Amino acid sequence: MFLHILKYELKNGLRTKDLMIWLILFPIALGICFKIAFGSIYDKTEKFSSIPVAIVEENENEAFRQVINSIESSEEPFLKASFVTREKAEKLLDDGEVEGIIFSGDELSLTVKEKGLRETMLKFFTEQFTVRERIISDAIKTSPEKAQEVIAALTENTESSCRDIPVTQGNPDLYIQYFYNLIAMVALFGCNTGVHITIQNQADLSALGARNNCSPAHKSVSILACLAGSFIMQTFCMILCVSFVAFILKVDFGDRLLLVYPAAILGGILGVSFGFFVGSLARVGEKAKTAIVTSAAMLMCFCSGLMMANMKLFIAEKMPWFNNINPAALISDCFYCLNIYEDYGRFISKLINIAVITVIFIFLGFISSRRKKYASV
Amino acid sequence: MQVFKAMFKIVKKRLPSAMVYIIVFVTISVLVTNASSKDNQFKASRMEISVFDHDDTPESRALTEYLGKNNDIVEIEDDKDKIIDALYYKKLNYALIINEGYAEKLKAGETADLFGNYHLDECFSTVYIGQFLNEYTSSIKAYLAMGKTSDEAIALAEEALSVQTEVNMLRVDKGGNSHYSVDFAGYFQYMPYVLISVILAVVCQVLVTMNKKDIRYRTNCSCIKNSKYTAQLFIGSGLFVLAVWLLLIAVGAVLNEEMYTGRAWYAVLNSLIFSVIVAAMAVFIASFDPKDNVLSLITQITGLGMSFFCGIFIPMDVLSDGVLSVARFMPAYWYIRANNMIADIEAFDKDKIFQCYAMQLAFIAAFVTLTLLVRRIRYSGASIGTAVKKAAVS
Repeated sequence: MFLHILKYELKNGLRTKDLMIWLILFPIALGICFKIAFGSIYDKTEKFSSIPVAIVEENENEAFRQVINSIESSEEPFLKASFVTREKAEKLLDDGEVEGIIFSGDELSLTVKEKGLRETMLKFFTEQFTVRERIISDAIKTSPEKAQEVIAALTENTESSCRDIPVTQGNPDLYIQYFYNLIAMVALFGCNTGVHITIQNQADLSALGARNNCSPAHKSVSILACLAGSFIMQTFCMILCVSFVAFILKVDFGDRLLLVYPAAILGGILGVSFGFFVGSLARVGEKAKTAIVTSAAMLMCFCSGLMMANMKLFIAEKMPWFNNINPAALISDCFYCLNIYEDYGRFISKLINIAVITVIFIFLGFISSRRKKYASV
Repeated sequence: MQVFKAMFKIVKKRLPSAMVYIIVFVTISVLVTNASSKDNQFKASRMEISVFDHDDTPESRALTEYLGKNNDIVEIEDDKDKIIDALYYKKLNYALIINEGYAEKLKAGETADLFGNYHLDECFSTVYIGQFLNEYTSSIKAYLAMGKTSDEAIALAEEALSVQTEVNMLRVDKGGNSHYSVDFAGYFQYMPYVLISVILAVVCQVLVTMNKKDIRYRTNCSCIKNSKYTAQLFIGSGLFVLAVWLLLIAVGAVLNEEMYTGRAWYAVLNSLIFSVIVAAMAVFIASFDPKDNVLSLITQITGLGMSFFCGIFIPMDVLSDGVLSVARFMPAYWYIRANNMIADIEAFDKDKIFQCYAMQLAFIAAFVTLTLLVRRIRYSGASIGTAVKKAAVS
């Protein structure tokens, strides 16, 4: 009996268009959108690259020119300078070709278009030049015999005073959070399949439910078979989703991609169980059930950062316990842990959390769908 | 006016889901408006830095204090996982460790290995703070070389480092004289997403419902003239679109705490044209009679797709050229171009703005033509004949 119902559940699932649309087509479309939007944003705005700058020489300033030349000849130049006229420079700045214009006259001044970190760095750079000039003139004034030593102290400093302690080998791009949450969203959308199971087994909600209820098959067997069928379909959707994100969109999950799959599949099973639980608990119609679970799933995804990437950290500060029970946050955290942390401790604890919540949902779902009798339908 | 009345009965049913978009949009706008400032003075970015002072000498404390002047010092537990989280989510830009022996090394004129930093990636903020630390220590070293004591050297170095370069903004009157502030630009930038979501969700649904086979046949055999029926549909949809648009414009004025003046009117006109585009798009989509689930998929994909492709959710200059050249084929691209010019993100140019309007009008014309074409084909005598035959056979 179990296998028979399982077979029909799978057939049924394959023919449900909603499933195709929301679990396969919609994530693919959204994933493409995310890729377009966030694919290059990290490289363009966060990751360090030379800052293009236009330099307008109002007076001859040999020292400044030398500094620029020596910076440009270094291995990883901080600036990419072009010496141009004022009009040309303003055009370049307006078109976004350069981040700022440095006017080198008796004093340096800076013109920028936006207020951001790169502009601040340009400001600091021009100040740096002025500071050094000032220190050297201080030295010449107060102790000219030591001026040479002072200049040496300022310029010979090739070694950085700061040593980097790398903390991770993973992908530091914050924007891949959106893809983690996309996968979490697909997992939680499995709740619709979960709701479907309960509708098929409640006589007052569908003709199929009425028929199932008067069939001699044991209810627990039929529900178990339906659950198993849904798990199989959800697993398929999760594998498809992760593969699409990893291989077609080429999102970098760090070097443990193989472990991403089980985490995603477990997340999908959690999604189905969540739908099953809510479906059997709420004694309302099909539309209301779907609306409840879908909005709950979206709300969870929102809290885990599907719409705003740093939402999860915000919640971690205000109510850290919520991230440990919010399914969407748990699922996306699994991917994050695999990417960033070297050890598996946190990853495993997240997986255990997911498993425990899944078991609770299934258990409660079974309890509340037991012993439902219908006097008349 | 039966058709008209019937339409609004259906609108009423769909309204709650549409209102969700409007309410969320307005709430977010309110939050954002309060956060941003209207002036256009340059302000240096402040970094979020956490300092783990393993040296704990007057010299190291002086550094921490000096860092705190231009940056925000964040207190965070010395736990590697928490630091990684904070760095990853950009809650922290730099995690600095002042190594033990900092003061002594500095006095001896050594600048190598004074600090350590938890390093996640090579981004602008790490480079910036790294440069700052180098400059700070080498300035102190220079003053020490002049024969100053370390206290004097620190004081003099800090004084020298406090020079400020004059920074000018390229267009100083951004928002100020043009009567189109940065807030307004943001509000109008996100508006297309709401317009698409609300209008498609409601108008399409209503038209599809009115066009259901049974209802259409019933209407067709009633005594109401076909032209009257169409006219009422148009008036009804038009009124709804106008109402949504007026509501958003009114909310915009309230949020900005002033009536639209000067350049802002360009933006108002821009959004009106865009609303009409969305309405035309809704009629076009509805003429295919999509099913409920397909319709909501189309709504989501059009709304989100255009928002991501055309620079509604993220600024246009972050998008790659390839994406932007695809985006040219979508109306929102021209809306955003115009909005960017009005907001002075691109240079303000009246002719170019009108070009953008013209492009959007062209989209309206295209949608109307396509709709007529589709209706012509779908509802022509021949195709209905085939449908009837098919029905008869089955």
